[in-house]
Amino acid sequence: MKGSVVSITLNGVERETLVAPGTTLLNLLREHQSLTGTRRGCDQGSCGSCTVLVDGKAKLACLIPVETIAGSRVETVENLALNNELHPLQQAFVEGFATQCGFCTSGMIMAAKGLLSVNPRPSRADVIRAISGNVCRCTGYESIVDAILAAAAGMGKPLKKSA
Amino acid sequence: MLQAVVTPTSLGDLRKALKLAPKATLVAGGTLVMPIINEGAHGISTLVSLSKLGIDAVSFKKGIATIGAAAPIAELARHSELKFLSAVIDSIGSPTLRNMATVGGNLFAYGDLAVCLVALDATAIVVNAKSKRSAPVEEIIKKGVKAGELVTHVSFAIPKPGTFKYAKASRRALNSASIVTVAAIIPLVKGMVADCRIALGGVAAKPVRAKSVEKLLNAKLFDEKTVRAAAAAAAKEIAPFTDAYASAWYRARVTPVHICRALLGDAAGKS
Repeated sequence: MKGSVVSITLNGVERETLVAPGTTLLNLLREHQSLTGTRRGCDQGSCGSCTVLVDGKAKLACLIPVETIAGSRVETVENLALNNELHPLQQAFVEGFATQCGFCTSGMIMAAKGLLSVNPRPSRADVIRAISGNVCRCTGYESIVDAILAAAAGMGKPLKKSA
Repeated sequence: MLQAVVTPTSLGDLRKALKLAPKATLVAGGTLVMPIINEGAHGISTLVSLSKLGIDAVSFKKGIATIGAAAPIAELARHSELKFLSAVIDSIGSPTLRNMATVGGNLFAYGDLAVCLVALDATAIVVNAKSKRSAPVEEIIKKGVKAGELVTHVSFAIPKPGTFKYAKASRRALNSASIVTVAAIIPLVKGMVADCRIALGGVAAKPVRAKSVEKLLNAKLFDEKTVRAAAAAAAKEIAPFTDAYASAWYRARVTPVHICRALLGDAAGKS
C-alpha cells in the first residue's frame, strides 16, 4: 500500500497531506488537519453531519476519497467566523436557538451556505429542500429553517459600519 | 483494504488502469461505493475514479441531449432544455447528494432517473478497450454491460412540451427512496394517444416498461376512463418486493394509482 500526497486548498490555504489510499475528506479534515468542526455521523452519506463545500458546492466529506478532489477548494465551518465575529449564519443559529445538542449544526450551516451562495433570498421551501439531506435528531428543524431565513434576510442588508 | 485509488484523466489512462487492476471498482460520485468502503470488510482493493475522465458534460444538438455518465445529477438542473426533468431531479436524494451522485450511478442503481431514461427511450454510449457501441438504455438495464465495458454517455431526444409525465411515491416528501416511480411519454394527436412509453421503478428489481399499459392506451382517446382501465394492466409487468419503505402487496396495490396520478394529475389519482 502506497500513500500519496494530496494537495487541496483548505479554508483558503493550500495544504499538502500524505494520505493512505482512499482516505476520505472527512478523515483528512478530522484526523490529519485537526479540523473537528466537521462531524462524523453515519459515514454512509445519510445524515449530512459532514457537509462541507467543495469548489463552492455542498458535498458529503465522508463519501469523498481525497485523491479524487486533488486541487479542489474545500471550505469547512472553521472558515466562517472572521476576526472574532461569527458569520451571519452562525449568529442566526445562536440567536434563534437553532442549536440543541449541536451535533448537526456545522453540517446544517454548510448546507445553508451552499444554498445562499446560489440563492441569496431563498423561500422557506427552498431552505427545507436544501437541508433535506441533513438530519437533526433533536428534531429542531423549525428553528433551523427560521435561522437560515433570518441569516439570509440579514445578509441581504448593507453591512454595519463596524464590520 | 484499499491499496490504490486511481484518477485517470483520459479513456486511454482508464484502460491502462483497468488492465493493471481488472477487478478494480469504478467510482464516480461516491454515493454508492463509499458507504460500502466505510462499512469495512468490503474486499475492494483498487478504486478507479471516473470523476476526472471528462465524461461529465451536458450538451445539446438538434433537440438531442447528450449527458456524460459522470455528470452530477444537480448539473442537469442548470440546463433550461432539461426543465421537464426538474420534478425528477428534485425527487432524487437531497441537493447535497445531487451535487455528488451521477447520472451513470443512478442508471446502474436503477434509480428514478434510470426510470425516466427508459421512458425517454434513451441510448447509452458504451466503450471498451478497443471500440465504441451504442445500445438502448432499456437493454443495458436488462442485460448490463460486458466485462471491460463502460457507459460514458446517455442521450435522448428532448420530448415535446407537455408529453413527459412523472410521479414518485415515497415515504417522505423529500430525500426518500421510491415506493413506486412512474415516468412516461404520452404524445397526443387530436386527443388520441400516439405511441406512448411508460416506465415503472420501485416495483421490480430493475425499472420495467409497462408495455401492456402502453398497448391499452395507444390509439385511444386520452381520457380518465381509458387511463384508469389501462393502468390496471400494470399488475402484469411488475414483480414488487418488500423493503423498509413498503410491502410488495402495497406496491402492487398502489402502482395503478400512481400511473393515473402521473398521467392525469394528482386529483385524478384519488379514487
